[in-house]
Amino acid sequence: MAGTAIAQPKGKKGPATAAPGKAGKAPAPDKTPAPANPGDAGGEIEMDADDGKQAGAGSGDVNPDEIDMGEPDKQGDLNADLNIAEQNANAVKATPVKKTPLSWQDIVVVIRKPFLKVRRTELLPFVGTTMNDNMVRHYTVGGELAYYLTDVLAVGVEGLYYVHSFREPFDLVARQARRLPTINQYNWSAALNFHYVPVYGKFAVFDHSLVTWEASFTAGIGAGQSEVIPRDTKFPGFTNLLIVPNVGASMRFFLSKWLTLSLGIRDYVFYDHFEPKNRTEIMYATAADAKDHADGSLINNVMFQIGVSFWLPTTFEYTTFR
Amino acid sequence: MKNHTLLAVVSILAVSGSADADRRQSTLPTDVAVRHRRLLVKNRFELAPLFESTINADFRHIIGGGAKLEYHLGNIPLFGDTLSIGVVGVGSTAINTKLVDKIRPTLEPTIDNKTREPSQDEFMNRLNAMPVHGAGYLSLTPWYGKLAAFGQAYVAFDFYFQAGISYAQLKSNCPATVCSDMSPGSSHEDSNGVTVQDEMPLNPNNDPPLNNGSRVGVYLGGGIHVFLNDFLALDMTVRDYAFTDNPSGADFNADLIVSSADNRFLHHLFFGVGISVMLPTTVKRTP
Repeated sequence: MAGTAIAQPKGKKGPATAAPGKAGKAPAPDKTPAPANPGDAGGEIEMDADDGKQAGAGSGDVNPDEIDMGEPDKQGDLNADLNIAEQNANAVKATPVKKTPLSWQDIVVVIRKPFLKVRRTELLPFVGTTMNDNMVRHYTVGGELAYYLTDVLAVGVEGLYYVHSFREPFDLVARQARRLPTINQYNWSAALNFHYVPVYGKFAVFDHSLVTWEASFTAGIGAGQSEVIPRDTKFPGFTNLLIVPNVGASMRFFLSKWLTLSLGIRDYVFYDHFEPKNRTEIMYATAADAKDHADGSLINNVMFQIGVSFWLPTTFEYTTFR
Repeated sequence: MKNHTLLAVVSILAVSGSADADRRQSTLPTDVAVRHRRLLVKNRFELAPLFESTINADFRHIIGGGAKLEYHLGNIPLFGDTLSIGVVGVGSTAINTKLVDKIRPTLEPTIDNKTREPSQDEFMNRLNAMPVHGAGYLSLTPWYGKLAAFGQAYVAFDFYFQAGISYAQLKSNCPATVCSDMSPGSSHEDSNGVTVQDEMPLNPNNDPPLNNGSRVGVYLGGGIHVFLNDFLALDMTVRDYAFTDNPSGADFNADLIVSSADNRFLHHLFFGVGISVMLPTTVKRTP
């Protein structure tokens, strides 16, 4: 679309169309027009033509030979121009304000991304809950600090604190099948994460307001601690130090220049150790003995997380033209 | 004279500029968010063959295939083109969860009514399956947009939310040799007029599970269409079929009798993925 917008040439700026001899050399319609020569206004939007005009001055051209302009041309003075512009702005404010496009520069075909992340730090407090364990549900309170090296790449650290509650099947299995489930609780975890943001989009809500969002993938490695919940409370539990890689995907919705809403799914993968079976007063009674004979299993702890991100610095500057 | 001429010209230009400003009053505050929008769903039928599986089921995963048929309405007062009506139906099979696989080998292999624990058959034959389930619903599509993946692939998408009535056909098959107590919890009066349970002690393990038959409940769903072209879309949905159920078929309220009181209102979460075919295959655009 950007390559197809063609403005009408100004009447006083030179020939309106190319010379007949050059007509055959005009670029094809599906190609981007070549840059115009200084004296050739055809096919190019004049981005500077409106700059020197005052607001409300109309669009008609004035021939200085027919009208007395009052005083001869003089060298431009930036401060004077700014003062005039400010006075005119005040004058406009005195009347009902009409929001109108001021020039071609205000008409953009493709808008800029409303949020830049490069060289900014994200502070993300979040909460989460287990998605794939029907015996025990963990809730987490955590935070992540991430620094964006580019607009799509970031490195960060996160920490999580876990609390748990038992779900219905935990009691049902004990009551109905007369079996006590072997359960570990998670106490904390921390990780170094890398984020990649390949998807960026926007959507309209009820056809009236636009919301921009993006999707990112995360991979990281860290450590955590799990703790055995003894089936029989007369036996002591024990803790395990875990190596915890994680992968995940999340979405981020932009609320302002310094505030975003994040939600996503993270899979924490680790090899956990559980209380051994047939634990009695004469077998695996102590925590150390039980830990030495613990049953191991690969665990995928899939968690849903949601949080609000705060961005520092709280604002940013565009480095490219819109 | 020259000054008067200049003043007149400037005045005319100023008036014309003001009039021009009036004509060019911005309509952005009342405009739609997107112009020339492709109406990817409005006034179109959506037929989507789909695959569906339970999320985090306790005893049995329900996995199956089916179809969704939906018609997207247009220009409904207050809702515009965001409403649709539809039905979804799925035929399924059941697969034991890892929890069942862990419990089963630890149970006694043969029935022993002297113990409180069920035998392997008593435990397994009480679990129910869901051969057929579905829903009729009203759907709202409040969000639509487009996304760029890796800065190259541009696709349209929309989010939708559904609510309606769910239906499920539950099935359990406990033979009379296992579920042998045909009148669980029944009692009689002895010669002294004292109520005595027919079965002492009460044993819920040989009671019929009472977890088969038809169920009607509430349906809730939410999902996303990712449009591959003007008439094909990847359709991903999380569905909740909520109805009364007792998946284990065992005594839930600890009264040692399996009865209808052990049923409770449960959420059955499914994740579905399908390919939506939009008919007609051509789309219209908004002004």
